[in-house]
Amino acid sequence: MGIRLTVRDLDKVYGEGERAVHAVRGVSFATEPGEFVAIVGPSGSGKTTMLAMIGGLLTPTRGTIDVNGRDIAQLRGKALAEYRRTKVGFVFQANNLLPYLTARENLLVMARINRSDMKAARARADQLLEELGLTARRDALATELSGGERQRVAIARALMNDPELVLVDEPTASLDSARGKQVVQSLIAEVKGRDKLGLMVTHDMAMAELADRVLEMHDGQLVGQAVAARG
Amino acid sequence: MIGFLEIRRRKLQFALVGLIVTLISFLVLMINGLGVGLNEQAGRALRNFDADAIAYSDRAGLSVIRSELSAETVERIGEESGARESAPLGYMAVNYRRDDGRVKSAAVLGFDPGSIGEPPVRAGRALTADDVNGLLADRQFLRASGLKVGDTVRLSVRLQEREFTIVGELNEGAFFFQPSVYMLRSTWREMKYGMVTENTPSASIVLLKGEGLAGKRGTGWEAVSKSTAFANIEGVAGQQSTVQALRVFGYLIGGLVVGVFFYVLTLQKTPQIGVLKAVGASTGFIFRQLLVQALLVALGGVVIAVPLAWLTNEAIKQAPDPVPIAFTTGTFVTTSVLLLLMAVVGVLFSGRQVAKVDPIIALGQQQ
Ligand SMILES: Nc1ncnc2c1ncn2[C@@H]1O[C@H](COP(=O)(O)OP(=O)(O)O)[C@@H](O)[C@H]1O
Ligand SMILES: [Mg+2]
Repeated sequence: MGIRLTVRDLDKVYGEGERAVHAVRGVSFATEPGEFVAIVGPSGSGKTTMLAMIGGLLTPTRGTIDVNGRDIAQLRGKALAEYRRTKVGFVFQANNLLPYLTARENLLVMARINRSDMKAARARADQLLEELGLTARRDALATELSGGERQRVAIARALMNDPELVLVDEPTASLDSARGKQVVQSLIAEVKGRDKLGLMVTHDMAMAELADRVLEMHDGQLVGQAVAARG
Repeated sequence: MIGFLEIRRRKLQFALVGLIVTLISFLVLMINGLGVGLNEQAGRALRNFDADAIAYSDRAGLSVIRSELSAETVERIGEESGARESAPLGYMAVNYRRDDGRVKSAAVLGFDPGSIGEPPVRAGRALTADDVNGLLADRQFLRASGLKVGDTVRLSVRLQEREFTIVGELNEGAFFFQPSVYMLRSTWREMKYGMVTENTPSASIVLLKGEGLAGKRGTGWEAVSKSTAFANIEGVAGQQSTVQALRVFGYLIGGLVVGVFFYVLTLQKTPQIGVLKAVGASTGFIFRQLLVQALLVALGGVVIAVPLAWLTNEAIKQAPDPVPIAFTTGTFVTTSVLLLLMAVVGVLFSGRQVAKVDPIIALGQQQ
């Protein structure tokens, strides 16, 4: 068990011709099972784009994303949706809960999508809500939650289907630092405890320091990994 | 499950569209009921004829009003058609005066006792060959006239007026948009033509029983199937195509309302659909939620509209001259099923929209 990710020569170009934006350029790195990696870098440096490609939300222009021997870059349509559903837990920068559902229902939707056993799912949802300090708010509608609460529900949702890849895009934006640290620590515990892989984009150095390793992005590249072949 | 929860949390929106679907369902049901009702008015009695085909004068253009057959032709039809059984029938429209003084019309059918033209009597007794002033009256006639078996009624045609005793009750339905009464063909002939000579027409049409009769023709006559005869009743075709058009519009509007509502809802929910896809929901999963919602809305509308239409019809029936609306279980079932189907068709348009949503929009800040 345990998940191994190997990214090779990853490129993403948005648009074409004059307006083409080369958001990620020749990124390569590999991870070990149980690793929690922080990704830092200035705004616009391609962090979200890279995370989205690894999470199966975006198709790379070039390169391979090897997850336990399978190249995610080659997946399309249904296979890609299945990869997202079964392997990936994504915490979006804009936490994106379903507004007409309660905190708990937002978690249970994941089980529905995954056709999981609902009894087990309810237990899992309650456990996650508890771990993230949301038990008292579990029946509040997403629209009634504070920004920080919503962010924590989004994290719980990402963990609902027990994904092997936990991808987190700037989770602490709407969390105060004490709470943020606590949340990140529980994420790390989840990753370590079950040999998963955590990738977390953050601009908060205090958070980044909690990770095993920090990757720094600049202008679409990992710092110290400039692409030689670029003309 | 999400679809269902969404309805619960957005009650007002769904209730409003449900209300509109209810009204449309009601309208479509009433139109369908009217279609059936008008059809019955047009000639349930004709459909009830114990015959496989009906022979007309070949100069009548399949009009019962204009068809006149001599005794000789009636006989020839029996021989030339090769029918197993045949029976001449006379038709005319008569007036009578109701108790409230209003003059109403009725369809008279003249038949020969013992022939296939004789209608089954539901109450009272049948006519015998010498019941020259006896009358069999359809239930609808009794209701419209306020008369009952045993009463007398004066029927008039042009300058002729004659008093009849109602001896039996029928359930044959209307003929030619009028409640029907049956009398002896000999009486009919006297009333319709006054002086009877050997040149006086002896029947309007001839009922035929046997195989392969529809489409046959001979000297002075042609035979068609009962359904062709029905379709050729003056006004039936136009009436039924009007009703049909209204019905089709009803279904289309029903489908369109549901379709547009869910389309707008889908457009509005694009960000949420993006998130669902981003967390791995397939287009099929999301579409099924829409489908469940559309079916629930349509089902809600139909479930309210069916009893509503039924009650409305019961109320209408109390009127002295009710609008002819007839509901059959079939009307309710087909209408409901078609409306549900239209809701599904309507929601299909949103399916494309769902399929088009790119999960990448869940990332938020990108566009
Ligand atoms: N959908 C898109 N179309 C075109 N350009 C995009 C799109 N998304 C991001 N970009 C551009 O790609 C670059 C990297 O963006 P992003 O990955 O969001 O960076 P970060 O997350 O590090 O802020 C930026 O220049 C951004 O403007
Ligand atoms: Mg970003």
